[in-house]
Amino acid sequence: MHFKTLTWLAVAGTLFTAGAAQAEEMTIGFIYPAPVADVGWAKQLDLGREAIEASFGDKVKTTVVENVPEGPDATRIMNQMVTDGADFVMLGSFGYMNDGLRLAGRNPDVSFLHASGFKQTDNFGTFTPRNYEGFYLGGLAAGLVTKTNTIGMVGAFAIPEVVAEVNAITLAARKANPDVEIKIIWLNSWFDPPKAQDAARALVSQGADVLFSLHQDTPSVVNVAEAEGVYVVNTGSDMSAYGPNAVLASVTMDWTDYFVREVGAALEGNFNGSDFRGGLSDGAVKVKAWSKDLTADQLAQIKDAEAKLMSGELHAFAGPIKDQKGQERVAAGANLPDPEIFGMNWLVEGLEGSLPN
Amino acid sequence: MDTLTFLLSGTLLAATPLLIAALGELVVEKAGVLNLSIEGMMALGAAVGFIVVSNTESYWLAIFIGGLVASALSVVFAAVVLLTLGNQVATGIAVGILGLGLSALIGQPYESMTVAPMARLPIPLLSELPIVGRGLFDHVAVVYLAPLLAVAVWFMLMKTKLGLIVRAVGESPESAHAIGYNVNAIRFAAILFGGFMAGVAGAFISVASTTLWANGLIAGRGWIVVALVVFATWRSGRIVIGAYLFGAATIGELLVQSFGLAIPSQLLTSVPFIATIIAIVLLSMDGRSIRLNAPVSLGRVYHVTQ
Repeated sequence: MHFKTLTWLAVAGTLFTAGAAQAEEMTIGFIYPAPVADVGWAKQLDLGREAIEASFGDKVKTTVVENVPEGPDATRIMNQMVTDGADFVMLGSFGYMNDGLRLAGRNPDVSFLHASGFKQTDNFGTFTPRNYEGFYLGGLAAGLVTKTNTIGMVGAFAIPEVVAEVNAITLAARKANPDVEIKIIWLNSWFDPPKAQDAARALVSQGADVLFSLHQDTPSVVNVAEAEGVYVVNTGSDMSAYGPNAVLASVTMDWTDYFVREVGAALEGNFNGSDFRGGLSDGAVKVKAWSKDLTADQLAQIKDAEAKLMSGELHAFAGPIKDQKGQERVAAGANLPDPEIFGMNWLVEGLEGSLPN
Repeated sequence: MDTLTFLLSGTLLAATPLLIAALGELVVEKAGVLNLSIEGMMALGAAVGFIVVSNTESYWLAIFIGGLVASALSVVFAAVVLLTLGNQVATGIAVGILGLGLSALIGQPYESMTVAPMARLPIPLLSELPIVGRGLFDHVAVVYLAPLLAVAVWFMLMKTKLGLIVRAVGESPESAHAIGYNVNAIRFAAILFGGFMAGVAGAFISVASTTLWANGLIAGRGWIVVALVVFATWRSGRIVIGAYLFGAATIGELLVQSFGLAIPSQLLTSVPFIATIIAIVLLSMDGRSIRLNAPVSLGRVYHVTQ
């Protein structure tokens, strides 16, 4: 009898401590659309997760599910995460949006962050990189270093985000070098490394000596640039290890500050779903791995533009800007407003080819 | 690299894995079995080949082991369709998904890594030819071997007793059985061969043409292989034409985009598929020839006691 009471007390005690421990630490779930590799989109998100762990230590516990295709699998996994007690969920792909919003609606106590979305609620925030600012600098560098006056771009799909990058590169490259000719190949596929490489080779065969790898998660284009002896500017992570001679610059995304800030707010109970558009000045977009081949003068020009973009003195889409048909899109003295940047569906003057309607 | 060199060399690089895998699938289908798991077997071969090169730097070993492992996966398919008489379409798709999953699993530590490209073997004299030399004759050895393989497969199927037996098994397994051939053993061997070729094709992509591994690397090429065999009406010559035509069209599409013509890129992206279908349909207009070449018992479950 006596023994039995003691056992019950022990069990109750254990449960109590376990409960207390659970209340203290916040569980944060991460869902990535791709596997976490050495480089790429998922890797950059995961660096943000590591920063959260480093900043908050025992107060948080993170779990990761990677390589989750958009669709029913993602829905099941995010629901399971919340059922298992996640207090905070990071959804790393645009296509998780609708199911994520539904889940957020049912669980007002859980905070959500969603990549590249356009719908927010009190507990559902979104984050989008202003990559075009980084690519403006890349375009400037490309215009300065090209000897053939030909720049080639390999793009995934002509969605507004990528079109804005293409336009920013073109504006900057033509500013540095008015004679530059720009060629684009659209892959019409989010993921096909062999095709990306063929596209890169096609551009090199047409005389391009600077390539842009737009939204290719793997070092496919970087690999070709290194083999063919041309320069490349890539998206996502620093890929200079894959092309030590080829990488002119890497436009990288850095979510560490943003993730730490949002998780900090959630820990204090102040999370509020907002629409974060992070560029150079927020540190969300960083251009890294500037090539050693850039002269001190060239690098100074680039750094000057970077400082001006950060201070707001220079805007990537500052007028006057004409589209490829010669129609004025931005008046002199004006900047293109955000909604139009993130919905861009026209090409600037100097670009050949057409966009889907 | 000038435009023509790129067009020729790009075509050969893009077509070689399609041709190799399609020749394997041809033999499988000629034996009366429809194996739809090519995509998964190519992915597995690609992952395994990449891992072997990363660790041993031996490209031929990588291609061989890539083939062997894909072949081992096809044993699963063979066991289900031959021994337990499973539906070939459903089993093929299931085994294909298994292969994709396995490739992602074993390739995980190598995700987004690269290897040095396989050494090229320029053919003396020919590679010095003006205009076409570098495009056609400065490649890794596998690129030259692929058309020779096509000749070998054609010869085996059409000119040897072994080929006659394989075709007999594909036309009428009952008759083949009645005259004393072991239908299941022959089909089993054909499936293993098909798996090996798919694995070799996948390994070629990861170690010789793209030289990187990433989950999803094959990106639908396995399905193009299946389509090639059918559209080529089960004839090796037309498979060769189809594979190179498809390769040329994929490269041509990219080149046309790089010229900056105002043609919608989506339309261009679909050109390889449309062009290959039209060309092979035109070649195969004669219905009699299709009936002559299509294996009659393709996809049908066969059991000795029937």
